[in-house]
Amino acid sequence: MLDSNPAAGKAPLRAELGRTLLAGSGKKFDRRSRLFAMNRMFRYLCIAAAAFVCLILVLILFLMLRTGVLTFNHISFADFFFSSDWTPENEQYGGLVFIFGTFALTALTLLIAVPLSLMIAIFLSVFVPTWLKNALRPILDLLVGIPSVVYGYLGLTVLIPLIRDVTGTGMGDGLLAAALVLTIMVLPTVSRISDDAISAVPAKFSDASYALGATRFQTVWKVLLPSAKSGIMYAVILGMARAVGETMAVVMVIGNTPQIADSLLKPTSVLTSNIVMQISNVPFDSTWNYALYLMGFLLLLISLLMIVAVRWLQRRGERVS
Amino acid sequence: MKWFKQLTIAMLVAVIGFSSVTAVQAASKLSGKIVINGSSALLPLTLQAANEFKKLHPKVKISASAAGSITGPQAVRKGIAQIGAVDWDASKDVPGFKKFEGQVAHKVAVIPFAAVVNKNVTATNLTTKQLQGIFSGKIKNWKEVGGKDADIIVVNRTFGSGTRVNFQDKALQGTDFMTKGDNYKEVKTSGDMKSAIETTPNAIGYMDLAYVTDKMVAVKINDIAPTEANVINGKYKVWGYGYYMTKGEPTGATKEFIKYVQSTKFQNGSLKKLKFIPISAMK
Repeated sequence: MLDSNPAAGKAPLRAELGRTLLAGSGKKFDRRSRLFAMNRMFRYLCIAAAAFVCLILVLILFLMLRTGVLTFNHISFADFFFSSDWTPENEQYGGLVFIFGTFALTALTLLIAVPLSLMIAIFLSVFVPTWLKNALRPILDLLVGIPSVVYGYLGLTVLIPLIRDVTGTGMGDGLLAAALVLTIMVLPTVSRISDDAISAVPAKFSDASYALGATRFQTVWKVLLPSAKSGIMYAVILGMARAVGETMAVVMVIGNTPQIADSLLKPTSVLTSNIVMQISNVPFDSTWNYALYLMGFLLLLISLLMIVAVRWLQRRGERVS
Repeated sequence: MKWFKQLTIAMLVAVIGFSSVTAVQAASKLSGKIVINGSSALLPLTLQAANEFKKLHPKVKISASAAGSITGPQAVRKGIAQIGAVDWDASKDVPGFKKFEGQVAHKVAVIPFAAVVNKNVTATNLTTKQLQGIFSGKIKNWKEVGGKDADIIVVNRTFGSGTRVNFQDKALQGTDFMTKGDNYKEVKTSGDMKSAIETTPNAIGYMDLAYVTDKMVAVKINDIAPTEANVINGKYKVWGYGYYMTKGEPTGATKEFIKYVQSTKFQNGSLKKLKFIPISAMK
């Protein structure tokens, strides 16, 4: 009763709206130019936000590099990269221990983590019935979200005493402990992404393989894995980036002693752990401080290279499939 | 009901007037802003003092934060902070750190340090010579110092720690630490040191006496147990002063704050409760 004929009321209104929108009647700042201005402004705002991100990246790189290169005012290039003597109290700033440590730790982590996560991924995408798959995938996703300090703490209180008992060494800190902790950390990431990559292989590939009489193992090994190769590489590099940059968990189990690790159980140090251990104690304008910045820049460079590699692989993967 | 309203208003006015009068009486004329930076070992003391001081002088704003000892005098030099808390006298050279020109050191507390070992270690009475040997890496097995046959695990603080500077100076009499070895590791904070000593069998390290728990053993040095009483009577030598550094002589609120921390009331009250030793006890 109140609104017996709604269409009758709306029709003139719509016409009115259309006219003001289209005709741009009289007034200087009417609805049309207002919309136009808003549109423009929103666009510029978005561009500014995007530019801001780029600016931050450039500024970070610039600051780290600018402070980092000051190291070479006092010590030579070769000293930093090829000397393993890091004793700031005696003006010795050899970074080799940490660079070597970072690469060794990453390699060891991948050595353990990649086969394991591939097996998990194959299990998830090939062998498991759908209902179990749907239950397992969220669990892996949850594992990704656990803060690294929790992993580090577990490493310190559970893993290290275990290593001490099993190997009979006195300490247990070292590359092995750090690599095991990192493995647990990167495992969910690598296996989830590999799982997606394997699942994305078209069903006709495996169907054809089975039709030709191949066993399940042959199908996985000769068809699925090669087809999902670029996706798996992508997962591995993401895991690698996390292993290189991880700080909190590593610092708790690596021992933090600036010496080259010639054994898996010898306390050593990596770029990230050394920076976080020392940065709060270092005088502002000292070679020591600059050397720490240089290490930060190196880390940044390594992870940037990895991201570039990931992008490249992604693009190649798209072209192939 | 009119009389009721009037009475309420009158009472409100009276209460407000009275409270504002008392507030004015309590507020001292002292005002200003004090920023305190530096040693984390001294932070509990600084925070406690700041709370008490703010009650006496509500117009003074104090903000305190802590990182490594060295950040204290550095922040003072840069003008970021008025007071830099540090575990050694930063107006003099110490091993590894140059003196800060133009800064004045104010003693605020006595901090005793103790060498600590894991509970499974039986050699709990060491001489200065033995400590020097252990921390320089020359003595590698507990049986060399009267313990059982087991490797010594040495846990050290990173270079730059104020506790390390003091321990090296007072307990090791300036001899160098080892820098590498299979059974040597460095930790970042006193808390990390505590958990490392508690959980690692055959480990030795050192920390503020206040951090020592009953899950570890504080070692006797030259037959003297590390207790407050032994520090005060002069038998136990491994202790240092905590300092507040200022740029030149302090003025205004900063001066009053340091005076408050050094006052007998604070030194014998809150400071003792936080397990520091009053500076007056050492004279």
